[in-house]
Amino acid sequence: MLIFTLRRLNLFLFTMLILSILSFSLSFLFPGEQIINISGQINATPEGIELVALEYGKHESLITQYWIYLNQLFEGNWGVSMTSQLPIYGEILNHLPATIELTMTALFIAMVTGIPIGFIAAINHRKKADDFILSFAMIGYSIPIFWLGLLTILIFSIQLGWLPSAGQISLLYEIKQVTGIQFIDILLSDSPYKWQAFQNASSHIILPSCVVALAPATIFIRLARTSMLNVLDTHYIKAAMAKGLTFQQIIYRHAIRNALVNVIRDVGLQFANLVTLAMVTEVIFSWPGIGRWLIESIYQRDYTAIQGGLLALSCFIFLVHILTDFIYATLNPLARETHRGPQ
Amino acid sequence: MARNNIYQEEEFPSPLMQLWFHFRQSPVVKIGFGCFLFLCFLAIFSSLISPYSPVENHLDSLLLPPAWDDNGDVSYLLGTDNLGRDMLSRLIHGTSLTFGLSFIVVLISLVIGVVIGSLSALTKGVKSSFLNHFLDVILSIPSLLLAIVIVAILGPGLNNTLWAIVMVLIPQFIHITRNAVAEEFNKDYVLASRLDGANSIRILHYSIFPNIIEKLISQATLAQSAAILDIATLGFLGLGAPIPMPEWGAMLANGIDLFYIAPWTVYLPGLAILFSVVAANLVGEGMRHALKARKES
Repeated sequence: MLIFTLRRLNLFLFTMLILSILSFSLSFLFPGEQIINISGQINATPEGIELVALEYGKHESLITQYWIYLNQLFEGNWGVSMTSQLPIYGEILNHLPATIELTMTALFIAMVTGIPIGFIAAINHRKKADDFILSFAMIGYSIPIFWLGLLTILIFSIQLGWLPSAGQISLLYEIKQVTGIQFIDILLSDSPYKWQAFQNASSHIILPSCVVALAPATIFIRLARTSMLNVLDTHYIKAAMAKGLTFQQIIYRHAIRNALVNVIRDVGLQFANLVTLAMVTEVIFSWPGIGRWLIESIYQRDYTAIQGGLLALSCFIFLVHILTDFIYATLNPLARETHRGPQ
Repeated sequence: MARNNIYQEEEFPSPLMQLWFHFRQSPVVKIGFGCFLFLCFLAIFSSLISPYSPVENHLDSLLLPPAWDDNGDVSYLLGTDNLGRDMLSRLIHGTSLTFGLSFIVVLISLVIGVVIGSLSALTKGVKSSFLNHFLDVILSIPSLLLAIVIVAILGPGLNNTLWAIVMVLIPQFIHITRNAVAEEFNKDYVLASRLDGANSIRILHYSIFPNIIEKLISQATLAQSAAILDIATLGFLGLGAPIPMPEWGAMLANGIDLFYIAPWTVYLPGLAILFSVVAANLVGEGMRHALKARKES
């Protein structure tokens, strides 16, 4: 496990290095002055710019500039937004939790629905149910997300009127922001209408998270199906059958556990895809997350915000990636210690 | 065994022909391939087939519903939008923008990716390990986010979106070419031609490419479905094709305000995107199955 951790740590440091270099070089690539792009001081006087340039070490070599930029990042000085002149770091802290909430709920829904359906498809391999599930999965990941979002709004919030179509919670409820994740904040607050607020927030999250979850769920269906088929083909399943276990016993005791481990390995890879979908969904459902904030900053040519948002969002994705790697390694001894079996 | 062939030489179909043979076995895939060819046809001949110009306004027939509706008019088969533009013509012209451009985008990134990928497969050591890690990092950034950042650098507009999507797709082609070439290089037949004195470029050209081209094509069809979705999404967000262009995503964004009075302006472009992505995915899936069947046979 130690070697595994060290290797992941190495990968993590390397990725952070590349991401920070990428983000640093963006300030040169964006149109306009580099020093304004990196600091966001768009209204500063020439003297003010000179001060900022000194602060960022503009007159030093590129490597020193990069080093100063890194230090600034760690101190929480990510520049200010070009449009609102608010600090980017605070803006990201405001918006990222809503995205975390949406993506995590969607990931949960996708896993809870996708994986069992995939197992069912594998158990009924080459039968009607399998074909049906596969064709559903094909349509599910071909459907354009913005179209799906609009259709669900039309059906569930306008025609049927069941669920709200925009925002994170009704404006009637005043919830103080502590962690930024709405559900935890509601539970922490001492408002007398806690439970109504909780219900309201959950009815707001159902539509967007289901829309985000559809495509990843269909990918989980396919992953779970392939993994289950591979497991059912192995020798230990044959041995279990020879022992005289019933089919259900084999599935519940042996097959599901081993198939699940392989699906979990790929969750991290799917997460980047899920965040992309969440960004578009946030725009459609007016979800106050970082994706909507980023897309709005593009309309406004807010380069400092784009730079910071890219860094924050990719760090978040990579952290989830590493986390799933660790969960996989804890669950599967084969992944962390090669001497336990053939790789 | 009786031989029907009186000639001594035995004929082996090329890997590509074998792939085609396995590919056409499945009826569903055949239908998908038919739809794919149909879309290609529409994309090439869009200006000949479409009944009207995609930007021509028919001011006397604004927001006409499709022909099967009671208020519909058969001369505008799929209805008109808020400026009286014929939906059918716009959708057909949109095929050459959304579908046709995605084809070109994938082709360009395929070529660039294969060149870089095969060159990188020939290098070893620190350089190659650095590239590998670098690609992993790039692949872990969401494709749309990367495309958005590139659009932010280049500025909005259809051309810049296309370059952005090309750049987003390149890493996966590098990745797959690199792995496939590295895998083939370890095989004995490559060793044989190396012993004959062939240099690396020659081996790449004569021995390896014919054997990996099927993998690349299968990756390309899957990449195309992603490219269609990305072009449409960027168009929808207003970062890609400008609104008057009949790009499907931009058409959909244009229809949102009229969603409740004229739902067909939103349904139809969405269905068109869905149809083309399903067709591309079916072809890609069929290709993958054919590859697997060929490996097993």
